[in-house]
Amino acid sequence: MAEENIIELRNVTKRFEDDGSIAVKDMNLAVRRGEFVTFLGPSGCGKTTTLRMIAGFDTPTSGSILLNGRDITALPPNKRPINTVFQRYALFPHLNIYDNIAFGLKLKKLPEDEIREKVTRVLEMVDMAGFEKRNTQTLSGGQQQRVAIARAIVNEPEVLLLDEPLGALDLKLRMGMQRELMRIKKEVNITFIYVTHDQGEALTMSDRIIVMNKGIIQQEGDPVSIYDEPQNAFVADFIGESNIIDGIMLKDCLVRIQGIDVECVDTGFEPNEKVDVVIRPEDLVVTELGAGFTDGLVTEVTYEGAYYDIRVQAADYEWHLQSNVSAMPGTRVGISILPENIQIMHKPRSSDEEILKKD
Amino acid sequence: MDRNRRRQLLALPYVAWSILFTLIPLFVILRYAMVDKEGHFTVSYIFAFLSSVNAKAFLISLEIAVICTVICVLLAYPLVMVVRRLKISRMSFMLFFLIMPMWMNFILRMLALQMILSSNGILNMLLGFLGFPPLQIANTNTAVIIGVVYDYLPFMMLPIFNTISDIGEDVLEAARDLGAGPFTVFRRVILPMSLPGLKSGITIVFVPSMTSFVIADILGGGKIQLIGNIIEQEFTRSSNWNLGSGLSVSLMLFMLISMTFTIKDEILTKRPAEEISEEEKAEPRVVGDGVSRRTVL
Ligand SMILES: Nc1ncnc2c1ncn2[C@@H]1O[C@H](COP(=O)(O)OP(=O)(O)OP(=O)(O)O)[C@@H](O)[C@H]1O
Ligand SMILES: [Mg+2]
Repeated sequence: MAEENIIELRNVTKRFEDDGSIAVKDMNLAVRRGEFVTFLGPSGCGKTTTLRMIAGFDTPTSGSILLNGRDITALPPNKRPINTVFQRYALFPHLNIYDNIAFGLKLKKLPEDEIREKVTRVLEMVDMAGFEKRNTQTLSGGQQQRVAIARAIVNEPEVLLLDEPLGALDLKLRMGMQRELMRIKKEVNITFIYVTHDQGEALTMSDRIIVMNKGIIQQEGDPVSIYDEPQNAFVADFIGESNIIDGIMLKDCLVRIQGIDVECVDTGFEPNEKVDVVIRPEDLVVTELGAGFTDGLVTEVTYEGAYYDIRVQAADYEWHLQSNVSAMPGTRVGISILPENIQIMHKPRSSDEEILKKD
Repeated sequence: MDRNRRRQLLALPYVAWSILFTLIPLFVILRYAMVDKEGHFTVSYIFAFLSSVNAKAFLISLEIAVICTVICVLLAYPLVMVVRRLKISRMSFMLFFLIMPMWMNFILRMLALQMILSSNGILNMLLGFLGFPPLQIANTNTAVIIGVVYDYLPFMMLPIFNTISDIGEDVLEAARDLGAGPFTVFRRVILPMSLPGLKSGITIVFVPSMTSFVIADILGGGKIQLIGNIIEQEFTRSSNWNLGSGLSVSLMLFMLISMTFTIKDEILTKRPAEEISEEEKAEPRVVGDGVSRRTVL
């Protein structure tokens, strides 16, 4: 497939008039045709605002939005070949399922039998065949969500926007719908731009994840690189769980944590530069006393099904470990780590970078 | 069970009130309508509306009521859309459009309107200033229509506002998203979703504007004879209670028949929801942005 950009955001800033706060700050982004891109970030970081600007419900304060290279910044939503799946479904309560899904097609003045054929096909795709005559209020949340998805994709938009479409569903239903969405994505081959604050969902479904905080892109990349190589402490903390601890980079491949020198594989830092050290809980190993890089007191052990969640207090830091062997609370143990599992990150410097830090 | 009983007891004063001031007068009127002065049974008073004078008054009343209702609908929608845009709360809406006008007595309001519309009134003064010829509005049907619309517009706006403010912003955005321009959004989503409110509004405005006689008296200068005026005169000036009652009964029947058109529709639209099978009911249901059929009054 051609690697062309279907959606492009150029220096897009959105400032809301009422309070002057900046929801999205100088964002640059390119989405390729057929891609599944996910905006991931905490509540209020500007995900919905970005999506609404792409859909046309909000206009950027500055910057431009391009569709297939054409500037669509001033185009109203009804003129954009883009459809949205709303978080709260937003089905038309006065129309039955058939008319809900046919809404867009009827506006395009398609012949009646073609509409019927398309609606039937899309209902089958979302596993809702036979629901044509039903009233929207008589559907369960999951069913309403399927109808909302069907209503959007039946128009064969160039881009489908989904704003936390699974947010209102319970966990089990969510997991099912995630797989379903990925299957639908394959079938229709439409570009998906997806919004969620659930990192698991983002990691499972996306080709590419855009991690956002306070209106700024923190990192973008495929799920593996986002998870394995977070670029700053915010991403590391937000994606999965992490031990984030202050350190000093003594020289290449040697970092001092809590007065202990630990071997790592990172290079290219200033000598004695202050850094953030990020270590995933599953990379830490419980060892015999004195066998690891540090020793500590086991304060808490909880069984999580697949692993034991262990807290170990060493000096002034409580390490968080996930291990498949247990430890006795109240005993002292050693903690060890492989050098390649240590992530070293620059500390934010300017005030602008400060924003990148988790609040 | 016990609690239900007690609740029913709470309704007693209302029931008593209704019997005393609605049902009993109704039966009195019905009785008067069906007997002549000597007390013999007759239907001639009930069919008195067929006589040429009465029929004419009936038709004019009907015409004015229809025109007023249509004007109210045409004014209410844009006004309600503006109010919705302003994000005014239900409470301030009611205060502003319903309660505040009532601070001024109805008769006073009509007299004020009369002064504005009279041949050397404020309106014609303004027109004269601007170099336009004066308008002859006072004592015409137009004056009565202006009066009725002025008085009843809030009662059209309120139920429509109620249904329209129940429509979620995201539903309107969904319509735009699917390709609807502003006009199509109105026609395909706002209008159909506000139908219950529109129906209540029509009922609330049509009935009183058909039967009102005070507005016609004041703004029509006694020249406009609506059916309400004739009935009133039969009771007061002519002291012919039997004829007045007969005309009232025929007017009431007419109202009932015309109301069944809107009400029948309402019953039909409600049925499908009640016919959901048990199996479907068992499924978890999300109470989404369903329009509630709540209307005021
Ligand atoms: N219409 C608006 N007027 C003023 N401020 C707004 C408006 N919409 C959003 N904001 C602000 O913009 C910021 C970003 O909001 P946005 O809805 O994009 O966040 P989000 O990432 O979608 O969060 P969530 O995960 O909670 O949905 C927030 O601080 C919010 O308060
Ligand atoms: Mg949001």
